[in-house]
Amino acid sequence: MLKRSAFWQILIFLLFLGAFFVLHLALPDRSFSERENRSLQTAPRFTLSALFAGKFTTAAERYVNDQFPLRDDWITLKAAAELASGKSENNGVWLCAGDTLLECFTAPEPETLRAQIAHVNALSARAGVPVTLALVPSSAELWGELLPDGAPNDSQKDVIAAAYAAADCETLDLCAALEAHRDEAVFYRTDHHWTTLGAYYGYAALGPALGYTPLPLSDYSPHVASERFYGTAWSSSGFSWVKPDLLITYVNQGDARITNYSQGAAEVGALYVERFLEQRDKYSYFYGGNTPRLVVETGEAGERLLILRDSFMDSLSPFLYPHFSQLHILDLRYFREDLYDYIREQDIDRVLVCYSVHNFVEDTNLQTLAR
Amino acid sequence: MVFSSTTFLFFYLPVVLAVYYLVPARWRNVWLFAVNLVFYGWGEPVYILLMVFSITLNYTAGLLVARCRETQPKKAKTVLVWDIVLNLAMLGFFKYYDLFAATLSRIPGLTVPVLNVALPIGISFYTFQTMSYPIDVYRGDAEPQRNYVRFGTFVALFPQLIAGPIVRYKDIADQLAFRAGGAEQFASGVRRFTVGLAKKVLIANNVGALWDVYAAKAPGELSALGAWLGAAAFALQIYFDFSGYSDMAIGLGRMLGFEFLENFNYPYLSRSVTEFWRRWHMSLGTWFRDYVYIPLGGNRVGLARQMLNILIVWALTGFWHGASWSFLLWGLYYALFLMLEKRFLGKLLEKAGVFSHLYLLLVVVLGWVIFNLTDLGAALGYYGAMFGGGSGLFSAFDLYALRSNAVILLLGALAALPLGKTLYWKLPERARNVLTPVLVLAALVLSTAYLVNASYNPFLYFRF
Repeated sequence: MLKRSAFWQILIFLLFLGAFFVLHLALPDRSFSERENRSLQTAPRFTLSALFAGKFTTAAERYVNDQFPLRDDWITLKAAAELASGKSENNGVWLCAGDTLLECFTAPEPETLRAQIAHVNALSARAGVPVTLALVPSSAELWGELLPDGAPNDSQKDVIAAAYAAADCETLDLCAALEAHRDEAVFYRTDHHWTTLGAYYGYAALGPALGYTPLPLSDYSPHVASERFYGTAWSSSGFSWVKPDLLITYVNQGDARITNYSQGAAEVGALYVERFLEQRDKYSYFYGGNTPRLVVETGEAGERLLILRDSFMDSLSPFLYPHFSQLHILDLRYFREDLYDYIREQDIDRVLVCYSVHNFVEDTNLQTLAR
Repeated sequence: MVFSSTTFLFFYLPVVLAVYYLVPARWRNVWLFAVNLVFYGWGEPVYILLMVFSITLNYTAGLLVARCRETQPKKAKTVLVWDIVLNLAMLGFFKYYDLFAATLSRIPGLTVPVLNVALPIGISFYTFQTMSYPIDVYRGDAEPQRNYVRFGTFVALFPQLIAGPIVRYKDIADQLAFRAGGAEQFASGVRRFTVGLAKKVLIANNVGALWDVYAAKAPGELSALGAWLGAAAFALQIYFDFSGYSDMAIGLGRMLGFEFLENFNYPYLSRSVTEFWRRWHMSLGTWFRDYVYIPLGGNRVGLARQMLNILIVWALTGFWHGASWSFLLWGLYYALFLMLEKRFLGKLLEKAGVFSHLYLLLVVVLGWVIFNLTDLGAALGYYGAMFGGGSGLFSAFDLYALRSNAVILLLGALAALPLGKTLYWKLPERARNVLTPVLVLAALVLSTAYLVNASYNPFLYFRF
């Protein structure tokens, strides 16, 4: 007679495999994952040509993985298991004190950095107007002490110093500006961006270089746009249980007229796009997320500033409205026109290149500046 | 397809098992034959043809050899030789052609085109398996198999198709015709499979990630501690990866009513290289012993010839592991120690107590460095770092790596010993009866979490 223990072993095994097999077939497929911010593989169609090209089986494997029942919860379980085994890291994100999620920084090869700076120097030589370069460190630089000793976190300050030493244009030390306020919430705990407060300190530091006197912090009345902001570090990590961030704004759009060229043609844009507060990617609340070109007519007198952006700029640029007549915010990843023609045609007075260090060393689109 | 994938675990396996046990017994081999080909063709469907060719070739050779061996032994031998030549030619072309082409092209004035042949998975394993069959028939060790489906089921049997153990025809000939099966055997298959899955997914993959970190460093960036940590991590990774895979194969075999021979027997517990090779990848060692070493004369020849035999067998063993000269070197490295042990070291080691364990571990760990770093320069650089020629004794990162991997390394080291097994059997039977299903469930749940996480791939271009 079959022993009870053996019976249970078989039952558990078959039920476990069978349950997920059935659940997989029974549950409706999801076409998009909010958390991973990407389209998921749906059931692949079987054709002989796809099979022999190897496409069918690859797609089928991706399908099974992407549609795996309770997918997000499995990731959480894995993160918890890693934590229990003495690792505070999962998927490249470290869980630190105070529910802070940090992503370690890896310094680029020196020649990579040199090449990127050469592109900025080319811009500085050809723009015909003053160019300012400002690199923003990430939370791993400012709050690196929260990481376990010896975690592979390279110094961003060193990379910024090396970049500035090779730059022919004016440069700005945002590290020092942020470090003075490192005990405040200048970065999100669950996202890689700086908070609007962090962006304010960036704005204040940029003043002398860009020729304005920053308004004091006390002039603003902060508004909590969302109390449930879970950022990208949270998405990657599986440490799903940490508490969410607050998304706070300081500036109102006021009389500023915003034109967004997200699809190429001019459309009326807005500083804040409410519907993103309902989604996971709440940072896109600012301007509605990535776009090749934004033009802000502030209604104030002053210079016309062109900004080569990454997403860190989205929370900073609103602070600039009182000091410039126009802001032209371009994203080199999507902007396909000739930048130098654009500077002349739009009568630009000044250029700001403001990137996070991480994006600055990785973005391959800077080379368009040297063309 | 690999066992440690969600596609295998939650689609392929449930379907295979359900149909296998629902159809009448006489249809089971046909079902297995069909799903074996699906399993094999999953990665590269074209190579199903290669598999079918290999099955047909050896099936025919077996029958011909059997027909001639009594009456026309010469003809039987000719058939066998041709069969072996064709098998080796197939293996040689698909596995080694590009290596030879690239190597020959280094001779000035000679250009041999490199074809970038995609290696058919498992070809090293199934070529050896199929080849054993006509040889065994020729020797009279096995009856010829007249049923094509049964023979095909043997060759392409998915549990051991792509990573062993190398099952010889004579060992499972009877089981191809009749398998008693039964729930007890199925349950033991479940246990074995789950243990193997946990070894692969929870231990091998995790320590493997640690090795990857160190393998990526230039010798100048490696500290002594880091180099040893990396090498130890790799020693654990390859053992748990490979033996975990064998466990899964043996477990799946049992679920389908087959009993395969063991492939690993706590190799890191050995006290000499000679013993290590009796405990590591045993099916490969047995294969080379029976089909190469003994036919060459084995131990029953003069000393010089015996040494030559060891050299030949271990050069082949090393080279079997992959199309790179460093594998050949790795085999010769072992041949050297085996010869030394045969001459005098063996006697010394018997008296050396704990030092014999240290000797073995040292030889094996240093061996893995050659095995793993595909060129000699890199291996020498790594050795340099291990013995203090890198960037000092240790770095802050090494301490971090050691601390955060301490649990998994310790777990790996303990699991490489029979300690857990001994403790398990010391438990009262009632405790075991409760514990076992719980452990099976825990291993399945945790392994699934790690497998799903491995496919987790947030699109962070929006990081910008």
